[in-house]
Amino acid sequence: MQLTSQSNLTKQTKKITNVNSALAAATCALLGSASVVQAEESVWEMDTALLYYGETDRVTAVEGVFSAKKDFGDEHVFSGKLVLDTLTGASATGAVSQPNAQTFTRPSGKGQYEINGGDVPLDDTFKDTRLQLEAQWTQPLWDDMRGSAGVHFSKEYDYLSVAVNGSLARDFNQKNTTISAGVSLAFDTIDPEGGRPVAFSEMVVNQGQFANDQAYQVAFDATRQKDSDDKNTIDLMFGVTQVINRRMLMQFNYGYSTSDGYHTDPFKVLSIVNDQGVTQSLVHEDRPTERTRHSFYWQTKYALDSGVADISYRYATDDWDINSHTIDSRLRFNISDNTYIQPHFRYYQQGAAEFYQPFLMEGSMLPTFASADYRLGEMTAYTVGLKYGMKMPSGNEWAFRLEYYQQDPKNAGFDEPGVLQQLDLYPSVKAVIAQISYSF
Amino acid sequence: MESESFSIVQQNDHIVGRFTAMASPCEILLETQDLILANHLTSLAYSETKRIEQKFSRYLSNNLMANINHSEGQPAVIDEETFRLLQFADSCFELSEGQFDITSGVLRSAWKFDGSDNIPTSETVKALMSGIGWHKVKFDKKSITLAKDMELDFGGIGKEYAVDCAAKLCSKYAPNLSVVINFGGDIQVTQPRKNKQPWNIAIESPEANKATTKILQIVSGGLATSGDARRFLLKNGKRYSHILNPKTGYPIENSPRSVTVAAPHCIQAGLLATLSLLQGANAESFLHQQGIKFWCYR
Repeated sequence: MQLTSQSNLTKQTKKITNVNSALAAATCALLGSASVVQAEESVWEMDTALLYYGETDRVTAVEGVFSAKKDFGDEHVFSGKLVLDTLTGASATGAVSQPNAQTFTRPSGKGQYEINGGDVPLDDTFKDTRLQLEAQWTQPLWDDMRGSAGVHFSKEYDYLSVAVNGSLARDFNQKNTTISAGVSLAFDTIDPEGGRPVAFSEMVVNQGQFANDQAYQVAFDATRQKDSDDKNTIDLMFGVTQVINRRMLMQFNYGYSTSDGYHTDPFKVLSIVNDQGVTQSLVHEDRPTERTRHSFYWQTKYALDSGVADISYRYATDDWDINSHTIDSRLRFNISDNTYIQPHFRYYQQGAAEFYQPFLMEGSMLPTFASADYRLGEMTAYTVGLKYGMKMPSGNEWAFRLEYYQQDPKNAGFDEPGVLQQLDLYPSVKAVIAQISYSF
Repeated sequence: MESESFSIVQQNDHIVGRFTAMASPCEILLETQDLILANHLTSLAYSETKRIEQKFSRYLSNNLMANINHSEGQPAVIDEETFRLLQFADSCFELSEGQFDITSGVLRSAWKFDGSDNIPTSETVKALMSGIGWHKVKFDKKSITLAKDMELDFGGIGKEYAVDCAAKLCSKYAPNLSVVINFGGDIQVTQPRKNKQPWNIAIESPEANKATTKILQIVSGGLATSGDARRFLLKNGKRYSHILNPKTGYPIENSPRSVTVAAPHCIQAGLLATLSLLQGANAESFLHQQGIKFWCYR
């Protein structure tokens, strides 16, 4: 590549009035450092992103994110975020496939849908719009400490979540060590369309057995609780960040999370099958009202001559018996001064919840809790992706990300009677993720 | 051996390291009472400054600069640091619309600013003009190609660059120490002092054609001065400043005698001061537009 000066002396270019900012950028490029003095007047840093998430035959989500950040001087930083997403498509009901067609009642009680023999029962009425707002304020406190406080608000059609958080961080050892502690309190309210199902109540399917619509409605209503329910969550986080050397940074976090309240998914059911594997009825799931989770997280970032390697591992365990391992790695290569590519690989593995059952057997005693939600079952998942980023001469940045995601649920040791042996009870979920983001 | 090339003096609340480099008195002020640390930092700054001087001085015969300037139209090999400096010079050329040009040093053979009335003939100046023009220079990460009659001169940025490099080394080695690097009035303060008090630094200030000393207060960042009241020519009552216009080969008219600028980095301050001198009569309005602190002397 041959670089020659772009200037053309015979052409009178537009007069550059604020030479200083361009000169500051050239200075930083020359010295390879950020300015040692805080800029007099900082500007809002804005980030926008549009994300598409599409599962084959299932859920499609489109998400728009707008975030803004401003340093009001002396490390007093405000950041805000607005997320709007829409989800449409079909989601697994928890019922097992059958050789013959199955009829389901929609969660609202209004209408039915049919699933062909051999197909995974999916509820195709899944449709939601979510609005999320976040605001966070961070500033130095006392000596060598930073404090941060924030609020979070998220609203879906049938779900409302409000959360507050606060954290403290302190630097030691000439800023080479940072320890932090944080707490977050979340209050969620759920009021699903058609009411919350009564635990293990049988799905009422109108197959002509009712004298009239009113008789059907009475039967349906008997399976529902009308009022809303809620869930409170407390999260505690403790972290240590350590600069290992000029190129390496390491972080350890411990997280404790306990929630109390309604954890059940009101749209999920279990099939009750006979010893031939044929579905006899469908019952609504029920989950414990408490959950306590511990997570251990380790992350290392390493600066290479022309990029950054970032690898992390998380182990999480909870009193539902879901133990999970996550390995996440990103490797950023700077192609030039203004462009980079970043391959991404993530691997996830989890064990099944103690109350997870792919189906229930007819005639056996009902368990205290049960769910056939594949997300609580044994599974592995991986993500492979690539991100490309480019910085414009103006300093604004475009980034494009394309990823493939696959979840592979596994049989956690359940025998499959009769016809179920011929059917795929643990179908994989495949998704494509595409994102465009612009920072200015 | 090396300890003889610089001196260390303990003051009330700081230590001063002194040496001479780049034809300037160089001072390192350190907010510490630790003589060993002060000695080490001064030694670091000294060797870094000497390294830059040895590499880029155009007065030496067997350094990188000589190699480039005597390349006779052939590509000369450069390293990464030189490439960064060339890119910086390129940005300055564009930002100044061609007025800041590191190939204009050849004019010095015609213009000797010794206070005399030796104005060169227009033929002499004209003969040199073909060797000027940054846009004619080709360079990439590995090499640079100059035309036969051209020369590069980092004189306009070299000292400020050395100040920033020395400051960067001190910051890296002693991240919590306030250090002032002052090379003949081109200054960088690595970070504010512990008590947030400013450093008081004496700089030469041109007044009534004689140099006096003025105390400047600086908390953090860079400071640089361009212009020199003692370097001029005077003929038929007209004063010719030593700031030359690479487009005409003649001094810029009506420019201030000297400009001092404060900016985050010394080299940035130095360039703003030089670019303002190149604006001639419009120097002050140019400086106002940059939204920076400056002192202009006419």
